[in-house]
Amino acid sequence: MKKPFLVFCAVLGVKAQDANEWIKYADNQMRGDRSESHITMTVQNPNYTRTLEIKSSVEGKNSALSEILSPAKEKGIRTLRLENKMWNYFPKMKRKIAVSSSMLLSSWMGSDFTNDDILKASKMSEDYSPKFLADKTINGESFKVIENNVKENTKAMWPKIVMMMSQKDCLPRYYEYYDKENTLKRTLELDKMKNFDGHQFLTEWKMIPAGEKNKFTTLKYNDVKFNVKFSNEQFSQKKLTE
Amino acid sequence: MKYLLPLLFLPLSAFALDVEFSGNLEGQGRKTWNNEEAREDLMQSWDQSEFYMLYGNLGAEIDVKGGSRFEANVLGRHTYSELYENDYLATSVFTFPQKLVARDIFKLKYDKGENNYRTEVVLNKFMYQWTFEEHRFTVGRMFINYGQGEIFNPLNPFNQPTSLNSITNFSQGNDGVNFTFYVDEKHVMNFYVLGDKSLEGYEGQLEKTLWLHGEYAHSEELQFDYVVGEDQNRHKIGGQVTYLAEEAMFFGQLLYQSDYVNQRKSHNLWDIVLGYDEQLTSKWHLRVEGGYQKRNRHQEVMNFNTRFLPTEYFLALSNKYEIHPLVNLQGSIITDVKSGFTYFVGRSTFSLSSNTEAEIFAFSPVAKGSTTEFPVQKLVTTDVGLTLRAFF
Repeated sequence: MKKPFLVFCAVLGVKAQDANEWIKYADNQMRGDRSESHITMTVQNPNYTRTLEIKSSVEGKNSALSEILSPAKEKGIRTLRLENKMWNYFPKMKRKIAVSSSMLLSSWMGSDFTNDDILKASKMSEDYSPKFLADKTINGESFKVIENNVKENTKAMWPKIVMMMSQKDCLPRYYEYYDKENTLKRTLELDKMKNFDGHQFLTEWKMIPAGEKNKFTTLKYNDVKFNVKFSNEQFSQKKLTE
Repeated sequence: MKYLLPLLFLPLSAFALDVEFSGNLEGQGRKTWNNEEAREDLMQSWDQSEFYMLYGNLGAEIDVKGGSRFEANVLGRHTYSELYENDYLATSVFTFPQKLVARDIFKLKYDKGENNYRTEVVLNKFMYQWTFEEHRFTVGRMFINYGQGEIFNPLNPFNQPTSLNSITNFSQGNDGVNFTFYVDEKHVMNFYVLGDKSLEGYEGQLEKTLWLHGEYAHSEELQFDYVVGEDQNRHKIGGQVTYLAEEAMFFGQLLYQSDYVNQRKSHNLWDIVLGYDEQLTSKWHLRVEGGYQKRNRHQEVMNFNTRFLPTEYFLALSNKYEIHPLVNLQGSIITDVKSGFTYFVGRSTFSLSSNTEAEIFAFSPVAKGSTTEFPVQKLVTTDVGLTLRAFF
């Protein structure tokens, strides 16, 4: 079983013995340096379902801008992140609000994703130290398991994230997020591979909070453009208040 | 006026890249109980009543080729109550802010009031904006919104905070021009030239506003805002410091206002506010604001136009809590430190669908004031009500 994996991953340039290379590869495929996405978010609870359409632009680790396209109640609300600064803009009122970085932890529009997830403030390959754990098999498929512990002096929301990487394509299928007490708080499942601009990308994400029944949030990436040439103003106050 | 917007949009839409309409409509009903002191001291001789409001916005945005855009918003408000029949003052509390346009050269307004109802329709935004590489130019009636204060925001005299009121989705319009200059990544300067005819009644002289508001981001944590200019016949200068700590935000504002420049009887004024804002948990948001507003001895004491709930010294605490992704609870309490007058605002919002929500609210003075410096505090009623709100 290992041989095809090594050959396949070698084609992709992954040095299979080095956990860092797996993380870098996943970051490069899934994040890239610059990307623009159109996303459908569905918040699923036992008693209701809520859907939002979002446009998101990301450049590197430090710049991100998201805008809600629907529903009408929240339409046009933008969030800009530059380095560790963050602003929300409410265009109907022309109101811009600076928010503290503690807000990165808070839920994004009532979903199971946080501001940090949406604004992609953390970059796994830079913020965490990875190491292999024993391989796992789930539903008959074997996964490489990598434990990521946050580096010292790094601002990150989660002290530990365990990733399960598919041995077929070297991309993550499960993320498990642990808090300071080493308690599992939520799990992210990824599915449905597509190719966007030469990047292998998993288009359906499902965030499941631990201990909650029938409660989860899905992100469906309808379109992702990589290596987008953004204007100089894309991640600026001017763009935020446009 | 209802024919005016489509007529304007049609020729513009020929050059448009994108035309969008949006808005909200809400209906509100409240049961209200009068303050005993208002009955005895202010001749507001009613015990309990009802007040109903239908309120809505219809906005349009047109992106025109070449980096310019047109924006307009029509705001309508129809209110009904038996309290209007005797001109009781409580209705002015329920409809704060009465001035839907803070600085107006043009009326662009329809209003009608008879026995027990009032109807207002106003074009509170009507502006054209050109965006260039390093600057932005806006002309017309515009919203001006800056400053961290949610309960008291003296740095911005062009938009009243409404966090203690039942009205939402509202900004005041301002007539004039705005030039925004993006000096560099850290520094933005906004110049405003505005006019105001309604300062002394609409038929009065046009008063000018020359205003500079700047934002300077000194570092990731520290931002300065500054204002300087002439507005409503006073010279004003002030600033705001915002410090973004890892877990919370701190801010402070100071505004100094000179005597009237036109020799009217007056004295100088100054305002200060200090604030603290923290997302305590993913569901619980806390804000504290405290400050001082020098009382204008020459202003009519029953005037609600300049600020809701006038106080000299105040301390306010506001908590928002998400008890369910579809249900939010908010409780605010504000106290006049000098008089002891304390006011509670509670509301709970229920999301009914993606574009509709219901809100129940309760407002009540929980402690009476001990001075007569602000008799208007006695006008504050105890109210319980329901709002149904739709967005489109």
